[in-house]
Amino acid sequence: MHKFKGVAVATVAAVVLGLGAQSARAQDAPQGDAANGKRIFLKEACFTCHGRVGQGGAYNGPAPILAHTGLPFDAFKGQVRNPINDMPAYSSAVLSDKDIADIYVFVHGLPGPSSPKNFPILNN
Amino acid sequence: MPKRRQEADSSRRNFLKGAGLVGAAAAVAPPVAAGAMPAAPLSKAKAALPGPRQIAAETMPPASDPVNQTSSGGDYMVDVIKTLDIDYMAINCASSYRGLHEAVVNHGGNTKPEIITCVHEDIAVHISQGYAKMAGKPIAMACHGVVGLQHATMAMYNAWCDRVPVIVFGGNIMEADKRAPGAEWLHAGVDIGQLVREFTKWDDQPASLQHFGESMVRAYKIATTPPMGPVFLALDGELQENPIRDRGSLRIPKYEPVIPPVGDSAAIVEAAKMLVAAKNPLIVCDRVARTPAGMKNLVEFAEALQCPVIDNYGRMNFPSRHPLNQSFRRALIGQADVILAIEMNDLWGTLTHFRDRIDRTSHPATKPGAKIITLGMRDLYLKSNYQDFGRWQDVDLDIAGDGEASLPELTEAVRRLTDPAQKAAFDERGKKLATAHQAMVERSKVDATIGWDASPITTARMCAEVYNQIKDEDWSVVGTAIRLSWMHRLWDIKKPYQWNGGSGGAGVGYNLPASIGAALANKKHGRFTVAFGGDGDFMFNPGALWTAAHHEIPILYIVHNNRAYHQEYMYLTAMAARHGRGVDRMDIGTTLKDPNIDYATIARGMGAHGEGPITDPNDLAAALKRAIAVVKAGGPAVIDVVTDPR
Repeated sequence: MHKFKGVAVATVAAVVLGLGAQSARAQDAPQGDAANGKRIFLKEACFTCHGRVGQGGAYNGPAPILAHTGLPFDAFKGQVRNPINDMPAYSSAVLSDKDIADIYVFVHGLPGPSSPKNFPILNN
Repeated sequence: MPKRRQEADSSRRNFLKGAGLVGAAAAVAPPVAAGAMPAAPLSKAKAALPGPRQIAAETMPPASDPVNQTSSGGDYMVDVIKTLDIDYMAINCASSYRGLHEAVVNHGGNTKPEIITCVHEDIAVHISQGYAKMAGKPIAMACHGVVGLQHATMAMYNAWCDRVPVIVFGGNIMEADKRAPGAEWLHAGVDIGQLVREFTKWDDQPASLQHFGESMVRAYKIATTPPMGPVFLALDGELQENPIRDRGSLRIPKYEPVIPPVGDSAAIVEAAKMLVAAKNPLIVCDRVARTPAGMKNLVEFAEALQCPVIDNYGRMNFPSRHPLNQSFRRALIGQADVILAIEMNDLWGTLTHFRDRIDRTSHPATKPGAKIITLGMRDLYLKSNYQDFGRWQDVDLDIAGDGEASLPELTEAVRRLTDPAQKAAFDERGKKLATAHQAMVERSKVDATIGWDASPITTARMCAEVYNQIKDEDWSVVGTAIRLSWMHRLWDIKKPYQWNGGSGGAGVGYNLPASIGAALANKKHGRFTVAFGGDGDFMFNPGALWTAAHHEIPILYIVHNNRAYHQEYMYLTAMAARHGRGVDRMDIGTTLKDPNIDYATIARGMGAHGEGPITDPNDLAAALKRAIAVVKAGGPAVIDVVTDPR
């Protein structure tokens, strides 16, 4: 039964993808259009696995959190073009390099996680 | 669905059985020439002159054959069923088992079993599945011959894959010369059990009442013996309806349950030696707990070894906040040197990385040389056609034995074989695992904060809000949507009845009726039942809500409404991306929008309380409070929560 397997690996995958390493973000992050990135993120179905606010989700396995991603752009783009897992590969016929840059800027600008102390009902 | 009672019933068999009514109801009963057209349209019948039917009815001499009876085969059937402590019989009424139905109500007093009225056979079987997992014993389900059974099949397959006992009755009229023209031929079969034989443990078509008695008890015993599963009995109409010739000669067989087997003692000791000697042992499990003792036994065993547990959640196996619960740390599979797999459903899938790409490849998730021990009953009963047994997994020690029953002996063996130095090492391991577990819990809370106020509502927020409202109740969560795991990440799930697994066969339409079945089992204990379910699943069987309203089954049902068959939406997107085309068109055929479905209105239409659609997360708490009040008053309530996909 794979039901929870994907989510279970999410934390590991997040580390692999550098999501916990905000400081590792490359200085050569592209200039991009966040509004267009959001449009594409929703239109091209990125949200279906990663959530509309980049909170992460699950496909066959984990779909990592993208909100306020610390992943360097090159790694981000590499994962989109030639993913390491079951994530669909988005070729340039579907997403241009500019589209990916715009998506990257959009997800990087999404608010990331907060301290659960600010959310009392998470501490039941 | 066509029903025998809905057809023009012109058979001699039914004429004769109804003949006792001739004097009193001749004006409405068509005793002869039933095939003839009435003299006047029915709408004018009251004003019309007597037609040929009525004239014939009033002038014919009384029938000479019997028109009343003082017993029926159905009475004996009920007497047998009562000895098995079967609380309910979930049905969609149908003429092919009218004899049994009438006997349950009148001879049996509609108690043990009590009729649970369902509007579809799929619902009736799924209610039975959900009930059995929560109550720890099966109920019966009855359906029409052929067509009703065809409706029931997918749910029976779910029960089969889930290894859950369900007793299914299907009406049939075995003797060709007793079948009325029309529907009775359409709804009869030489061997209707053939339809479900590949996913039932056993079936029979009794040819006599004594045969029924023995087959009923046998069916119950087979269904409830691990590995459990659904069974089917075809019940002949004549056998149900006709008088009992000699009740004194009919015996009710004695039922005595099978004691589930404990694994071979030598093999248990061998497994214990391997686990005690292991540096990084690991337990993986799926359907260990078949009684409340199961969780207790697994906890004691894991603690004896201070061994991590990865739970696939097929049953309430292990408390969510136990420090050894490492279910969300699957990387441990790759670190383990000895893995004990207990009552696993998909062992290969659990221990393997599989890639769903153009070239489908896989490689072990386990490290080279890792030893694998299995303990369980599942593989002791398999069938050929349907492939639910999964891919072959190499193992090093394969112990046939009931997991729950074998764990105490295994625990004792571990304790006996553990020396003080090993005990100290185990304790050290336990501390590290506890730290990792706590970090995992904290990580879940942090992750849950993302998009806290977003609309559509995040699934984390939805689950957190529900838990906040029910946490002080004696709650039981009995359903979830595909890949919705926030309850297990955030909630303190620790009692044997606080979870009962999934569908088994991943057949859509399980969640709502099975959750209602579990709620029915919870009702007499006064537990507060809550379930989550997807919108796609809901639409397969919304009529289940009517059953919950009709029978006053309290349940809080949260519709995780992402307005899509979302897993399929993602799969289709992957196909389009693979082909480099039309990714933005994959909502076609996969989404449930334009118009949006109003689940609260559907709920109200079924007699349940309905809230929603809720799109603002800040509206959830108030909606939950209103719905919870309804549930605590004894009724079903639905909250339609418009959510983000996952």
